[in-house]
Amino acid sequence: MPTTDAVLEVDGVVTRFGAQTIHNGVSFTLQRGQLVALIGGSGTGKSVLLREIVGLLRPSAGTVRLLGTDIWNASAAELSAVRRRFGMMFQDGALFSSLDVAHNVAVPLIEHTDLRGEVLWPLVQLRIGLAGLEPGSDRKMPSELSGGMRKRAAIARALALEPEVIFLDEPTSGLDPITARAFDKLVRFLVDDLGVTILLVTHDLDTLLTVVDRVIVLAKGKVLADGPVREVMQTSDAWVQSYFSVRTMIGGGSETHGT
Amino acid sequence: MQCYSGFALQERYAGRKPNSDNSGRPLEHTGTVNASTLSHSPPIPPAAVVADGAGATLRLAGDWRLPHVERLSAALSALPRPARLVALDGGALTGFDTAGALALLRYLQQQPGADLRSAVPRNFSQHHRRILDVVAGQLVRVGSVEQARSPGVFEAIGRASAALWNLLAGHVQFLGYIAAGLATLVTHPQRLRVKELAAQLEQVGIRAIPVVVLVTFLIGLVFAYLLGVQAERYGASLFVVDGVAIGMSREFSPLLVAVIVAGRSGAAFTAQLGTMRLTEETDAIRVLGLSPMDVLVLPRLFAIVVALPLLVFVGDVVSNLGGMLMADRVLGLVPATYLDRLQAALRLNDVIVGLAKAPVFALFIAVIGIRMGMTVSSDTRSIGINTTSTVVQSIVSVILLDALFAVVFQKLGI
Repeated sequence: MPTTDAVLEVDGVVTRFGAQTIHNGVSFTLQRGQLVALIGGSGTGKSVLLREIVGLLRPSAGTVRLLGTDIWNASAAELSAVRRRFGMMFQDGALFSSLDVAHNVAVPLIEHTDLRGEVLWPLVQLRIGLAGLEPGSDRKMPSELSGGMRKRAAIARALALEPEVIFLDEPTSGLDPITARAFDKLVRFLVDDLGVTILLVTHDLDTLLTVVDRVIVLAKGKVLADGPVREVMQTSDAWVQSYFSVRTMIGGGSETHGT
Repeated sequence: MQCYSGFALQERYAGRKPNSDNSGRPLEHTGTVNASTLSHSPPIPPAAVVADGAGATLRLAGDWRLPHVERLSAALSALPRPARLVALDGGALTGFDTAGALALLRYLQQQPGADLRSAVPRNFSQHHRRILDVVAGQLVRVGSVEQARSPGVFEAIGRASAALWNLLAGHVQFLGYIAAGLATLVTHPQRLRVKELAAQLEQVGIRAIPVVVLVTFLIGLVFAYLLGVQAERYGASLFVVDGVAIGMSREFSPLLVAVIVAGRSGAAFTAQLGTMRLTEETDAIRVLGLSPMDVLVLPRLFAIVVALPLLVFVGDVVSNLGGMLMADRVLGLVPATYLDRLQAALRLNDVIVGLAKAPVFALFIAVIGIRMGMTVSSDTRSIGINTTSTVVQSIVSVILLDALFAVVFQKLGI
């Protein structure tokens, strides 16, 4: 019986590439059913941190507990068990270029479930539709897709198993605002109605201000601020201030928030 | 382990204000049911049709989530056909996700005249109801699932022939571009990229020397041995020199070196240029006002056309060294005798014929390698396909050219 509802615990993560220190003791905890955004300037190691969380890159020090498994001290069997329970969307989609969109989305379903034929393909279609791809795009190869469509196909693949945790690396960059707002609705639906926990790296202020429960700001190798958007916006740090002031400049300070 | 009890479910959802807290996964089913509730109630099937005066109600129960979807679909299709479905009862659901909703809605689609308006969802939790609505919104597109049709034999042959024709026509066209590029270079010699050319010459020529030496030396060795075994029977050991010298310099050295260069440099051209296309570097070159022809194509072409004859000459020399070694050890021909015979047997013409073929081979390898790289479509897989294709095309064309040369030289009596 788990004593805590923490889905992800990142504790004292240090990352060094040669002489360069990217993270110098990053710690935070994700509760079940939260929609959390990770922000930070270029080169603050947001994507690197995601790679360390999902077990692709070993941190120089510190621990990562994802769904109760210590990712960097787990056996191969434990690791593969945990990998079925989360989904990851990479920044550039990372679609398999030899498979069409439908088969890309079907990969996790075929590998991790017994679903076939009449049950599998409608479900794949549903995922593709939820991610906002037009009908007919499921037969296309990744090379025939535009950047935004590739992104949506990647989101569909990350959703395929409707896992407990989903990591999204810049899901709305390169999407038009209409699709981006539809994406916001989708993540909110996943979190509220399906109880999925989502950690996303984003620079999309609309996403941050309207749908995210909590924002974690990475700067200078540490967690600079962590909390609801409104609190984080009050942080006196210059970077945070200028980050959010872009919004007030455009909106004349009269922007409306709220879901 | 699973709970099919509606009572337990009410308890679980009683205190929960939907959407107000994020503390828990709302559809959690493991370990949340107390055992006493479970033991009192017999298991309820996941779906059951209950008919009353007004019409039939489809009662759902248990965990309707992805891991159970196969079983649920089977249960649904095993249900008796209800006369008229007027309601869906989701009160006893312990888990519900989009996969479960999809299975339910697809079942509804198969019932004549049934949809969410005629069969009203009742007792669904707010979350479950929203899931149902979201999935219903996507249902139109889900309906038709057609599988890809695999082409018949004739269609496949036809497509392959057309593709081959397009490929060859494209090569010829590309040769034309290169000719135009060369013409520009003649009028504007300062556009020649000397640095790039030097780098390519090193890559294509100098770095290929070790493998060329190794391969031609060994082939010279083996060739001398095979000839020697036969020639010795007739007491004609000396003629091994004729065989090795003429055979290697006329035929084998150009052929072997061309195959090596096709595999080394032709493939490298395709992979390099293909990757540059994928990362849009070639587009950047164009936008910066540079010409890919000057920067990428011509230096590679010149490098390979210059390097290949030189490598063939290296092969000529080294294969005779191999032959000499074998003649000395096995046939008892001392190197002095070998060299003496070499001078008498090998005409300059034989060497020139071999060297003259090399630039033509080089041109074909370069055109194929470069064009296949420049025509990579925008995915990583096509780099692999094109690189393989470059090697196959280059080797086949080198062998075809060699056969053509053999016929032509025969007719001309060279």
